[in-house]
Amino acid sequence: MAGNNGPIVELDDVTKLYRQGEIDVQALRGLTLAVEPGEFTAICGPSGSGKTTMLNLIGALDRPTSGRIAIEGRDLAPLSRKELSVLRRDRIGFVFQAYNLMPVLTAYENAEIVLSLQRVDAAERRERVMRLLADVGLEGLERRRPDELSGGQQQRVAIARAIASDPAVVLADEPTANVDSDTADKLLDIMEHLNRERGATFIFSTHDPRVMERARRVVRIADGRVERDDAKAQASA
Amino acid sequence: MTGSSIAAMAWRNLWRHRRRTLLTLSSIAFGTSLAILFTGFGDSSWREMIDLAARLGGGHVALQHHEYLDTPTLERTVGAAELREVALRDPGVDRVVTRITGFAMLSTAGQSYGTALIAYDPELEDDTTLSVLEGLSEGHGFRTANDKGIILGAKLAENLDVRLGRKVVYTLTDKHGEIVQEAARVTGIIRTGAPTVDAGLSLLPIGVLRTALGYGEDEAIQVGLFIDDQRNATAVAARLRGQVGERVSALPWYELQPELAGFIAMKIAGAQFMEVTIALLVAAGIFNTLFVSVMERLREFGIMMAIGFSPARLFGLVMFETLWLGLVGLFGAALVTAWPYYYMNTVGIDISAFGLGSGTEVAGVSMGSVMRVDIYLENLVMIAVAALAATLLSGLYPAWKAGHVAPVEAIKLV
Repeated sequence: MAGNNGPIVELDDVTKLYRQGEIDVQALRGLTLAVEPGEFTAICGPSGSGKTTMLNLIGALDRPTSGRIAIEGRDLAPLSRKELSVLRRDRIGFVFQAYNLMPVLTAYENAEIVLSLQRVDAAERRERVMRLLADVGLEGLERRRPDELSGGQQQRVAIARAIASDPAVVLADEPTANVDSDTADKLLDIMEHLNRERGATFIFSTHDPRVMERARRVVRIADGRVERDDAKAQASA
Repeated sequence: MTGSSIAAMAWRNLWRHRRRTLLTLSSIAFGTSLAILFTGFGDSSWREMIDLAARLGGGHVALQHHEYLDTPTLERTVGAAELREVALRDPGVDRVVTRITGFAMLSTAGQSYGTALIAYDPELEDDTTLSVLEGLSEGHGFRTANDKGIILGAKLAENLDVRLGRKVVYTLTDKHGEIVQEAARVTGIIRTGAPTVDAGLSLLPIGVLRTALGYGEDEAIQVGLFIDDQRNATAVAARLRGQVGERVSALPWYELQPELAGFIAMKIAGAQFMEVTIALLVAAGIFNTLFVSVMERLREFGIMMAIGFSPARLFGLVMFETLWLGLVGLFGAALVTAWPYYYMNTVGIDISAFGLGSGTEVAGVSMGSVMRVDIYLENLVMIAVAALAATLLSGLYPAWKAGHVAPVEAIKLV
């Protein structure tokens, strides 16, 4: 949000309780975290530690049981469903483990979709999307549908889609889990490049040691709490 | 995202499961086609029946003595000339005829039978206003209002044991309540296939009967009006009511022949019930397709919501898919209906081939043996609108469901 000088993402004593059948599952137990603009942060931890729950809460896909979450200083709690969808559209980008592109749209249309939702002028849309697709190495593949692209290519389209609208933060849930190591390296190169060149803030949930190695900050979560928070020396270059 | 991009996306979504979409489209197309053909049969049949009844009775609208409907006696006459003038000034009226109708006893040397009489003016009428003349199988019709002669139904002639040229005596009560008798030679035999007509109807020239009944030159029982479209009968009757005076009634066909009107109303209600049933079955099929399609894509809707689609846009997307389904279904309906409609409109189906004789009598009206399809434009539009509305209504709940996915739950789905 313009004019916000504080953290881009803030979680303050956040808890999340799920009901799974007859059992209550405490996914987050008073988690507190702040992410500054331009960070390239990996959230890691064992399965069930609360990584995905945390990303869902930051992404305004779910609401916490207690605690406060703010994006660019804006508290999410009072926002309506519609306001949350506008926030997701304008300020948050998502990259999913399984790519999740719209199967009926071409690579170009998938990358363009958020800009279309924002009603960005057609000429500007075209210019931005073509540049982005070139940035992620998909020049010439714009007209292909997802089923005509490899997994790595689909994930590049997903990254382009996530970054197209210049969101405040890109949330990537295990973005390298479904691709081979070469492709994973290339995807990380692309995201690192976008982070450095465009200043896009990335938050990954990951098990992948390559991601943790490339991240400038690694937050380790266990049992719904931050167990360790390592900011590397070269952070925020 | 503009409406056109949502529409384009919806169009592509529609063809993701081509076979399922084609099945749904065929149910819309055939359901709509059936509704069009059924309604077309109905419209054509009822129109034919009403027109035939009008040509046999007093026209689409009859001007007659205000007490004649309740007590139909030959004393209750009207002045035909003035009423003709008034009627012909109405823009909806095509033709005006003058008739005397009543009952008489026909006798020969050996037999006597009752008959319904229609006395008409051959200078004003032909078989386009008096349908039974189409059935003239022997002899000829009258040439003037004062021709000598009588035309008998074939079965009546057989019962009386007379042929062309033979003499019969008709006996009836005149305007003053006196019994009068006149003799006439048979100049024509009509054979319509309708038992009540063939066994019970006689035609006389109106001038001859006027003389026999002691009527003035202008007197008649009915002035029958034929209008461009029978559905305008109510409006024409209403317009004329104010112009014909209190002693004359202007009655639309359905008041003159309530049993026919009741029969048609019952048949139309039956047809509509069947059409609604078809519509419900088709709508259930469409609902099922759309609902399954939405449930299969819940994860996708969750993703769409995550990247910024609002609930309203997702609702709109599914409604656009529904709209496409309806529009393409209607196009399909036009394609599958065109040839059968053309054939049944121009050639028709000869029901005599199904052992129903050369014609049949329905509610006292002799119907032709060929059934045709000829739908009223407004009924066609109504069916198209109803089919589209049923399709859109079927899509409402699936669309609502799509707009209300919980993204975090939906994204977990595989």
